[in-house]
Amino acid sequence: MTGFLVRRLSFAVVTLFAVLTLVFLLVRIVPGDPAQVILGDQASREAIDALRVRLGLDMPVWQQYLTFLGGALRGDWGVSMVTGRPVIEEVLKVLPWTLELTFVSLILGTVIGVPLGVWAAVNRNRAVDYASRISSLLGLSFPPFVSAILLLLAFAIALPWFPVISARTGSPVAWFQSIALPAINLGLITAAYITRVTRSAMLDVLAEDYVRTARAKGVPWRAVVWRHALRNALIPVITVIGLYLGILIGNSVLTEIVFSRPGLGKLIVGALNQRDYTMLQGMMVIYTLVVVLVNLLTDLAYGVADPRVKLQ
Amino acid sequence: MNRLPYAPYAVAAVLVALGAGNALAQKKTLVVGMASADAGKLDPHLTATTPDKGLLNWMFNGLVRIKPGQTSPEFIEPDIAESWTSNPAGTEWAFKIRSGVQCHHNYGEFTAEDAVYSIQRASTKATSAFSNDFSSFDKVDAPDKSTLKITLKNPVPGFLGYLANYHGGNMVCKKAGEEMGADFQKKPIGTGPFEFVEYQPQQYVKLRANKKYFRGAPQLEEIMYRYIPSDASRDLAFQAGELDMIYGKQEQTWVDRTAKLPGVKVAKVELAELSAIYLNTTVKPLDDIRVRQAIAHAIDRNGMVAFKGAGVSRPSVSIVPSGYLGTDEKAPLYAYDPEKAKKLLAEAGYPNGITIKTIHTTLPGMQSVIEAVQAQFKKANINLDVELVEHATFHAKIREDLSPIVHYQAARFPVADIYLTQFYHSRSQVKTPTAVTNFTHCKLADQDIEAARVEPDAAKQKALWKTAQEKLIKEVCGVPIHEQMQIWAYKDSLDLGYELVGSLNLSPPITEKTHFTK
Repeated sequence: MTGFLVRRLSFAVVTLFAVLTLVFLLVRIVPGDPAQVILGDQASREAIDALRVRLGLDMPVWQQYLTFLGGALRGDWGVSMVTGRPVIEEVLKVLPWTLELTFVSLILGTVIGVPLGVWAAVNRNRAVDYASRISSLLGLSFPPFVSAILLLLAFAIALPWFPVISARTGSPVAWFQSIALPAINLGLITAAYITRVTRSAMLDVLAEDYVRTARAKGVPWRAVVWRHALRNALIPVITVIGLYLGILIGNSVLTEIVFSRPGLGKLIVGALNQRDYTMLQGMMVIYTLVVVLVNLLTDLAYGVADPRVKLQ
Repeated sequence: MNRLPYAPYAVAAVLVALGAGNALAQKKTLVVGMASADAGKLDPHLTATTPDKGLLNWMFNGLVRIKPGQTSPEFIEPDIAESWTSNPAGTEWAFKIRSGVQCHHNYGEFTAEDAVYSIQRASTKATSAFSNDFSSFDKVDAPDKSTLKITLKNPVPGFLGYLANYHGGNMVCKKAGEEMGADFQKKPIGTGPFEFVEYQPQQYVKLRANKKYFRGAPQLEEIMYRYIPSDASRDLAFQAGELDMIYGKQEQTWVDRTAKLPGVKVAKVELAELSAIYLNTTVKPLDDIRVRQAIAHAIDRNGMVAFKGAGVSRPSVSIVPSGYLGTDEKAPLYAYDPEKAKKLLAEAGYPNGITIKTIHTTLPGMQSVIEAVQAQFKKANINLDVELVEHATFHAKIREDLSPIVHYQAARFPVADIYLTQFYHSRSQVKTPTAVTNFTHCKLADQDIEAARVEPDAAKQKALWKTAQEKLIKEVCGVPIHEQMQIWAYKDSLDLGYELVGSLNLSPPITEKTHFTK
């Protein structure tokens, strides 16, 4: 177990290094000048060049890269080129918002998706199965920004139960009001994925001999499905949940924008538009870390779900 | 058994009651929705973006100001300076600083020494994006606490405008500026009616009333300036009553739809942005004046206004936006005549028309214009090959002189000198050390622009600007299309305290007099 963790963490360092190098180069290949963005379109070339010197953008790329790596190793991610505020401070201020939305959506998606998938598998080719397949197809096909607007129109305008600006804090009611619609928006899409995978995994497992044996022995059907079959069908479901967590963080961009919530998504779009190199680099480290961590947790969860899986 | 069906209603009742509670508490709080994902630099000397300027406008004063709701320099009135005098040549100025002006957060009284510091800060490249505006300033002194003396190298047209509460003219308190240095933007300290309280990334900036404001304590207690980049969400939040004022879309359909909402005012606000195309006169086929004239004849200004909507735009009058000091309001623009354009192209050796490339931004408001221009050009046998790129890439590429035709939309301080200098003077030509936004390579009006800049006689100065515009139009360096207004919507229960015609900072000024009527 310890060996596994050490190996995975050392891979994570290599992955981080590769991502950082790639991001460092990619953001500089794209045309566009942070100095121009900062000073605006009335700034003269002289003023822009002076700012480029101050930002260190006049140095050769390799020198900028070494400076950046040196800073990264010391844990110094620098300051945003555009706002002048420390990158880490900016990221940490909005990270909890994204994590909160992602986890609540994932829990909602799992709570809806797993039982629905099991139910559909158990009732294969019946009305329930068709209904769950069609609704999950709808969930997969709906762009999150469209469903977000529809939710706002229904539950913030027609029925004014929730705020349009979903970023309230201070009390549990305010928190609930703010998280409900964004989490439903992302949660339903997540549920659609999980339903399909659970259904498919359950169908495979339900056709296994041991399921037939358990039934023949007289084990109650409910116990066969939920205790024996589901446990064996969980590996692909956990894989999808793990993979989807990474996708969810990415998908949260549009949801954050439509529901006017702070978050990493908004930060990264803003940094991209403004060519804020330092901010983009810092953000990528956070994203990579989260994805690496989630993959690690997913691997660990395999062992919990199925003791036959050994972490080597 | 019957309890469950009532549960959602009970939850709804609680939520509605909470919402109603918030609405009541907002009567002294103005909540503004701005079309931006986040704040930029909250330092008036470093930011030129609409969202930042709009907010800083409510926190800072200038030595002078343009009367709230107006944009023309003819409305200049005292602000921190209560009076001023100058020598006949307009090169030596003395300002009397008002006593009792307090810097926010107990940073003390604002004196002439603060004004000197602020002007020097705004003139320094390291601390200001507007240092060029102060290049004609020779000396700035404070002989005593209430006197500020400025000596200019040469007379500057619209000089007082540079000391208004706009860009580098915003007055920064010395003690705060020196104490905070680069951190000033984290807690901007001004002297205006509202002072900074809190910034929450991607959410809002909170301001509260400056009770010591020299014009009297503001009637509003608080301003919440919310960053809401999604147009649809901003509209919905406004409709739901969560916002009292929003930055609108520059679209006729948006204006029509929003104006129909009960209790809502939609305002068309100056400064208008002039939308124009700039032709690189040094590359083929644009180096032939007949081709450029054909392009000018292919632009249907009234057609563009019909397309964009009369509620959000108006036809251009010259290569400088209308209403600026020195704009030739009846400039001899080329008339729309696609047949004449075809003839000119044939004379220039292009009987089957021409194809010209332009690099253009994907910014929706501007993209719709270039698509309409493309359609207008087609009628004159001009095929406009539009290469769409994202906005920051657009700005980088056009400054590399890679686009023979550049479509640009901009508003500037309303004095002709600034527009003419930035877009048509050879010192501003792109790819030179002094480049700004001259994409045309034209320099035939340099002398007139320079002469107007130092001309003390106002009538002669206007005549020189008129000559410059005529020359540049005749030579077809740039072709103006239309002028795009700023659009704001707000609750009709909000009394701004003045008549809103326009705003230099592009957001309606919120003054000590602004209040809700109910």
